[in-house]
Amino acid sequence: MTELQAGQEARPLEVPRIDARPQRYRDVLIALAAFAALALLPMIFGSKSLLDFVIRCSAYGLFATSLNLLVGYTGLISFGHGMFFGLGAYGFGLMMQKTGVPIPVAFVATLVITMVVAGVIGAICVRLKEIYFAFVTLAFQMLIHSTILSWQSLTGGDQGLRGGIPRPPFLGIDLSNHLHLYIMSCALLVIGLLLMRQIAQSPFGYTLRMIRDNATRASFIGIDVWRAKLTIFVLAALFASAGGMIMALFVSGAYPEFAYWTISGEGIFINMLGGVTTFLGPMVGTVLLLILNDTVTRLTEYHGIVLGIVILFFAIGLRKGLMDFVVEWIAQRREKAGG
Amino acid sequence: MKKTRKPGISRRATLALMGAGAVSVAAPWVARAQAKMIKIGMPTILSGRVAQLGTSSRNAVLLEVEKVNAAGGLAGRQIEMVIRDSKGQPQEAARVARELVNTDGCEMLFDGEASSGSFAVHEVARDLGVLCIHTCSEASSLTADPKQHIPNAFRCVRQGIHDSIVGASYAAGIAKAKGLKKWATCSPDYAYGRDTTGEFVLYLKKFAPDVEIISESWPKLFQPDYTEVVTKILQAKPQALYSCLWGGDLTSYIDQANIYAMFSQMEVFAVNMADYTALTVVKNLPKGIHSGDRYIKTFPPTPENAAWGDAYKAKYNEYPTNWSWQNATAVMFLDAAVKKAGSTDGKKVAEALTGLTIKCPFGADGTVTMRAEDRTLVGYAIGWGTTIPQEPYVPDVKAGDWTTIFELEAEWKKSKGYT
Repeated sequence: MTELQAGQEARPLEVPRIDARPQRYRDVLIALAAFAALALLPMIFGSKSLLDFVIRCSAYGLFATSLNLLVGYTGLISFGHGMFFGLGAYGFGLMMQKTGVPIPVAFVATLVITMVVAGVIGAICVRLKEIYFAFVTLAFQMLIHSTILSWQSLTGGDQGLRGGIPRPPFLGIDLSNHLHLYIMSCALLVIGLLLMRQIAQSPFGYTLRMIRDNATRASFIGIDVWRAKLTIFVLAALFASAGGMIMALFVSGAYPEFAYWTISGEGIFINMLGGVTTFLGPMVGTVLLLILNDTVTRLTEYHGIVLGIVILFFAIGLRKGLMDFVVEWIAQRREKAGG
Repeated sequence: MKKTRKPGISRRATLALMGAGAVSVAAPWVARAQAKMIKIGMPTILSGRVAQLGTSSRNAVLLEVEKVNAAGGLAGRQIEMVIRDSKGQPQEAARVARELVNTDGCEMLFDGEASSGSFAVHEVARDLGVLCIHTCSEASSLTADPKQHIPNAFRCVRQGIHDSIVGASYAAGIAKAKGLKKWATCSPDYAYGRDTTGEFVLYLKKFAPDVEIISESWPKLFQPDYTEVVTKILQAKPQALYSCLWGGDLTSYIDQANIYAMFSQMEVFAVNMADYTALTVVKNLPKGIHSGDRYIKTFPPTPENAAWGDAYKAKYNEYPTNWSWQNATAVMFLDAAVKKAGSTDGKKVAEALTGLTIKCPFGADGTVTMRAEDRTLVGYAIGWGTTIPQEPYVPDVKAGDWTTIFELEAEWKKSKGYT
């Protein structure tokens, strides 16, 4: 090494600071465009089923993407995420039926309840790792499901919340109008996804990735792993709860099935289908699963076999989700074109 | 080079022209046929543990629809049933019901859902205003609770409260005659099990005040092993046992209790025993189990009922279920209501259905009524009898008294705050 070279090496390292703002603006722009496109949809297609489909996509999409914050970004495989979906549906439905408060108040209050419950459950669960974490979340889910079933005077037991959910109009929005409900669901979906994207791209989001890859190292450089895990557990619960509220409005009720383990299973399946390495993977998975479900159940009552084969195809055949596959394929093409 | 194709119109062109001609001639026919068709949507459970609910409902509906279509259809329109699986999930039931109306163009709904699913479909009916007949949900609150009342929804199903009243009055008679004072209960641990058992005990004590419940067991729904339940009951040594276990749960329970010779040690009252789905599956059906009638072709003991049961068996090679007669009755009601209204318009049919009485093989007196005040089925054959191990399984069913049912039902509604 010459002196000159050594001198050059000795200069203080210039750390390139990435300005996050342009990316944030880009995300907001994409969100606005997506919302505009969704809002225009009813004007182009008159099909009410399409609106139903998008409303359900919003509910499941928020749920599955929030689950991906845990599974994909933090490495916390939660088998009990469905409890917050159910909690949202029941919290909101009960609030509207029993108290008659305006919808936004019930919405916020349900989020607060979810936050408290998720805080307590999370504080216990996130201490555990891997399979233990998965099983304890599953256990809490079954506890909540059993509570819903047995607290009949409040929840209506296995018959669910009956008598419909009242929807007094607020700020000119009347959720008993199907179009208003549709626009509202789209807005919640887009805002929810945007917020989750910001969480994922923030320094906190990168902390989560680090915890996923090596929790010990993260803790050695001074990160409070437990607190970070708990924070994301609670945040993910809030989005799942919002998804549950959309579902409660769609079916105008809440049923114990919303808090059953099968909902969590569907969330995991959606993530497998769409892929956990990209942010939009779960959203793509949601659309895929719902299309698959709706078309297959139309054609045959042996939908279980068809869906099972699809899972096998993705799990054993592709060994990754659809979006992972697409992203890899694009990268390969770029490489070829470049090389 | 020699040309092989002759000038003029080619074969392909001729075929295309012929095809186009056929389409243009047939199009108005097809369109007219479609306009004449009336589609009825039916979300039900066709997969999973209670798939039999859906399949036996579907069988019965198709059997009756065939008859209506052969007789000219509903006000001249042939019925097309669109029956789809909801997997027993309420959100799917709601989705399927909406899809049937919004996409498939169904003008009416038969709701073949059980429990929570029926409430979900009820909300769809409320939202879309489409005529809806519930055909499987026995939950009394679906029609008893005034919050559920909507002018376009009806229930063509037996009810838990009716079964409890008739069962308790029958059981009280036997309790008094045989001096059965110490009773045990064993029912599935969910709303139906708890409610039905509670109501049965309430009325049993009303009719026979010195009855005492000495043991209660609440096995989980779909529990595979009943050993602990059976031994618990045997240790309590009751003189009689009440159970509202049903389907596979009831048959497993009986098979397992048989090992302990339970049925020779006490009188057993199992409300859901007299249904072919249970009767034909139990390995050694004990003699003398008291049961309510679910569906049995010997009750009501009329030739019409027996003929209907045989026709169903001949077509599907199995006996009908309780769900079958209910769904068949729904088609009969719809047919009669359309005839009365002279139209297939949902609102007019709903008006005609309200308070309608029709002739029916499953009626206590040969007729059944869609009671006007809560749009629910009354006057159907309801009774209790004891089992024998071979056909006709329950040879002698004692009919319940509808005057008593109405009286006590009104009291019950008041006590629940429904009236």
